[in-house]
Amino acid sequence: MTVRVDPENNETRALLNLVDFTGKRVLEIGCGDGRLTWRYADRAEHVTAIDPKAAAIRRAKENLPEELKGHVEIHQFKFEDFSATSKPSSFDSIIFAWSF
Amino acid sequence: MVHALEEVQRLLKSTGRLIDIQPLIEAPLLQVHKENRVVFVEPDPSYDYEEDLKQADAALTHVIKRGLLVIEERSEFDFLTHGSSAQELLAFWDKASADDDISEDLAEQRIKEVYARVEEIRQAAGQGAEVALHERGRILRLKPNARNDEPP
Repeated sequence: MTVRVDPENNETRALLNLVDFTGKRVLEIGCGDGRLTWRYADRAEHVTAIDPKAAAIRRAKENLPEELKGHVEIHQFKFEDFSATSKPSSFDSIIFAWSF
Repeated sequence: MVHALEEVQRLLKSTGRLIDIQPLIEAPLLQVHKENRVVFVEPDPSYDYEEDLKQADAALTHVIKRGLLVIEERSEFDFLTHGSSAQELLAFWDKASADDDISEDLAEQRIKEVYARVEEIRQAAGQGAEVALHERGRILRLKPNARNDEPP
């Protein structure tokens, strides 16, 4: 058996209860290996997922599901560096998950 | 952290929403499960981020008081990570924190000892027993207040 993270989908349910991602442009800050990203990205118009950790971003890129390629972008960025080059009012939803 | 939240507010459309998911400020529980029952519980020995969580909460409170963001909804949920053994979970955390600055100190030794003890308890519980880390998470939906740099 491999490690199973939130197989009960409690986090996903809580997230989808609060947000309708349909047609939304989403920024996920601290995406890690993409574990949460894959659970909502199919509903969004476009997802930009960032994380400063090289190993996590490498795993996220390796694990990106085929059906999400094209509307999920994954980048190794610190948020302050990303935001410094981003225009205001760019996103419908910003997710800040487990990245205090 | 305050600056990051200010930037979040800047990057959100006026109709946009911030979703903030964080653990509660309480130690996660290392558990042994057998046949859908919890047969052993011990606070996670690697919980060392209480101060970080308090600072993050303080920053959020600060920007809310300034009126940059407003909480619309809040809920809590259980967040479990299951492994077939304590060593498997430990290896998973090591991999997940590959880029973190981890020091080989007494705390690391204590974590390994606790996980080894939990593994003994799991094995004693018999076939089908597994280990889980049980965290409590909270999720907030926040909306930005109107800014001057965006047309109404």
